[in-house]
Amino acid sequence: MILLQSHSRFLLQTLLNRVQNLEKAVELDYHWVEFDDVRYHILVSMKNPNVLLLSVSLPIPPPEAVFMGGLPFGAIEAIKATYGVVVQILDPPRDGFNLTLKLNLGKLPPDEGSTSSFSKEHPAIPHLKSICTLCEVLEASKINSCYFRRFLCGLEHRYALLVKIASVREVVLGAPLRVVLKHLSSRTVIPGIDGLLALVHRSKESFFLVPQPDKVTVIFPMRFKDSIDIAFATSFLQEFVEARRTAGLNSAPPCLWSPTPPLELKEAPAEALSANAGFVSFVIFPRHVEGKKLDRTVWNLSTFHAYVSYHVKCSEGFMHTRMRRRVESMIQALDRAKPGVEGRKKSPNSRSFKRLSLKEARANSIS
Amino acid sequence: MDATSRPAVVIDNGSGYTKMGFAGNVEPCFILPSVVAVNESFLNQSRASSSKANWLAQHSAGVMADLDFFIGDEALAKSRSSNTYNLSYPIKHGQVDNWDAMERYWQQCIFNYLRCDPEDHYFLLTESPLTAPESREYTGEIMFETFNVPGLYIAVNSVLALAAGYTTSKCEMTGVVVDAGDGATYVVPVADGYVIGSSIKSIPIAGKDVTLFIQQLMRERGENVPPEDSFEVARKVKEMHCYTCSDIVKEFNKHDKEPAKYIKQWRGIKPKTGAPYSCDIGYERFLGPEVFFNPEIYSSDFATPLPAVIDKCIQSAPIDTRRALYKNIVLSGGSTMFKDFGRRLQRDLKKIVDARVLASEARLGGEIKSQPVEVNVVSHPIQRFAVWFGGSVLASTPEFFAACHTKAEYEEYGASICRTNPVFKGMY
Repeated sequence: MILLQSHSRFLLQTLLNRVQNLEKAVELDYHWVEFDDVRYHILVSMKNPNVLLLSVSLPIPPPEAVFMGGLPFGAIEAIKATYGVVVQILDPPRDGFNLTLKLNLGKLPPDEGSTSSFSKEHPAIPHLKSICTLCEVLEASKINSCYFRRFLCGLEHRYALLVKIASVREVVLGAPLRVVLKHLSSRTVIPGIDGLLALVHRSKESFFLVPQPDKVTVIFPMRFKDSIDIAFATSFLQEFVEARRTAGLNSAPPCLWSPTPPLELKEAPAEALSANAGFVSFVIFPRHVEGKKLDRTVWNLSTFHAYVSYHVKCSEGFMHTRMRRRVESMIQALDRAKPGVEGRKKSPNSRSFKRLSLKEARANSIS
Repeated sequence: MDATSRPAVVIDNGSGYTKMGFAGNVEPCFILPSVVAVNESFLNQSRASSSKANWLAQHSAGVMADLDFFIGDEALAKSRSSNTYNLSYPIKHGQVDNWDAMERYWQQCIFNYLRCDPEDHYFLLTESPLTAPESREYTGEIMFETFNVPGLYIAVNSVLALAAGYTTSKCEMTGVVVDAGDGATYVVPVADGYVIGSSIKSIPIAGKDVTLFIQQLMRERGENVPPEDSFEVARKVKEMHCYTCSDIVKEFNKHDKEPAKYIKQWRGIKPKTGAPYSCDIGYERFLGPEVFFNPEIYSSDFATPLPAVIDKCIQSAPIDTRRALYKNIVLSGGSTMFKDFGRRLQRDLKKIVDARVLASEARLGGEIKSQPVEVNVVSHPIQRFAVWFGGSVLASTPEFFAACHTKAEYEEYGASICRTNPVFKGMY
């Protein structure tokens, strides 16, 4: 795995599980935490098995970031635009969370009737565990009808919607960035915003945007806790910038790393400028946010810190693997150098420690 | 925000399946096979044979190769679909065997499945009661050095299995844990949260042996199962159709009288040709679990049935704990999930105990009557991840964070602090 996926794996798994066993009422009460302090909570009650309450809490925003009613600006609109009628925003949200969504799983397209009748017609598929297994089964049993196609198409659509719900984090936290980048693709600037824009990405930490009509500069102050991590991250980021210069990546966003705050940040508050692993800036051009690229750009930018931290951990792990291998080979060399090991191994039934005379010992070591 | 205010991550690595999730929940987020598929195709190629441009490509692919691996079900799927991936099982017989694979496994668990930042959470890991202290040190090293966890606690899995029981009834931290996983079966007596190490008994029969036995039975009967798939089929048969019977002879008779009721069908698709096939599942339905009660039908090396082992284990424990141990025998692990496994175990054990009580009464001439010994086998619906659940309960108590080894302690004293993990207040 090189890039982090935008959907929460566990949320998607739970949603799929719920949708497939909708007639079976269960009690669900889960809470879990993702990187950068995003907390989730799922609640399903026995009384209302179709309704799923999903609460999300976001990292604590630093003072410079713009928040409206506990959410980044544009988040409510983004949720409405992405999910439509399936999702309803509860106001006020559950205690301790920034956002509570009410999902009505009975209203997912296509309606439940067609799936269940399909499963009845083809008893070979008692449980539609996931799209993948379904496709495997169908391919294997060579069912090929227009009904099936329609069914599969509907299923795919529904799957895509569930994936979208599972990436609620991207929709909410990435909303302001998406707004800015949307304006970039139409080569305009949001009215009322001039100069620097701070967006939250970690608890009490923010990254900065400098929107301009033809480009957007994104600047990340990189902070790490551990001194080893800082060293790794610094060299990783330098390599990262270096890799951008190779021939194959000409169209990628230009990328810079500097140990001191870049000029664009001179208006920013001083406490936001203390970064122990330097500053990374990307320049995003309209061509990077065309059409479908927008989603990926938003996700990759808003989780850049998590991406670097993941790779720092991976390279530490890789180094440890090599260190272990090295130690093993050294121990092997030491073992080989031990005198007389082979001689003793040849007689497995002599358990007692027989003291050898000097002569015998020498004879042993020669043979 | 402090790491103690977030839920701890609980990972129970078993030889068959790994259970992981966040403390305070009732179910683990993921239950995955403990397997890693590694792409090693770039490691074994000779450098000399390739030209320079080729070498560069290989080099960059080799750099990526340390990220090119999968775990769990994805690993199994990958190894089936392409032959560039090699499967490696990091845990064998309840002990970590391959630390490289284990480190990778944890990496994916944390970053890809749980998607959490390891620096933000305390971790609770499990180990079998017979694990060497060195392996705890290794675990500590990986957790603190690679992942930078703020705190770590390595719990004994049988103690956690006991802890899983106490929330449903009462706080009882004395009992015998019968932990039958995929790779190892242990009988572990625990008194007040402390493992009685000298009385631990292990049995070389576990879930994998049940699977192998079923595979052997089906092969000997000449069932039409493709050989490359037979182990998987046997595993599925074990998980879906096996049950414990009360008496083998009666069960054979039942099967012979009413084959229609007892013999099940297995339908599958041959992986190579894609042709469908079907086969019968008969006696192996009850003979599989029977391996625990009559091991001689499976192997000639080990012939002590499980109830006798449990009895021996309790008899070797300190005399003042024995009654309490008989009273609370807790099942844990996937291989105790067969229907009526607990009932059969309780009956057989009761027989042994009653025989001994009778014998001692006869020896004393009937003058002294002893109190009857209460034998009680506890089984609960979450047996499959009882260890994880116990961990989740313990890690959500406030005392847990005080019992953990912290990163600061690790830096001060080194990996040796992970050798001992104190039994803490929340446990009883």
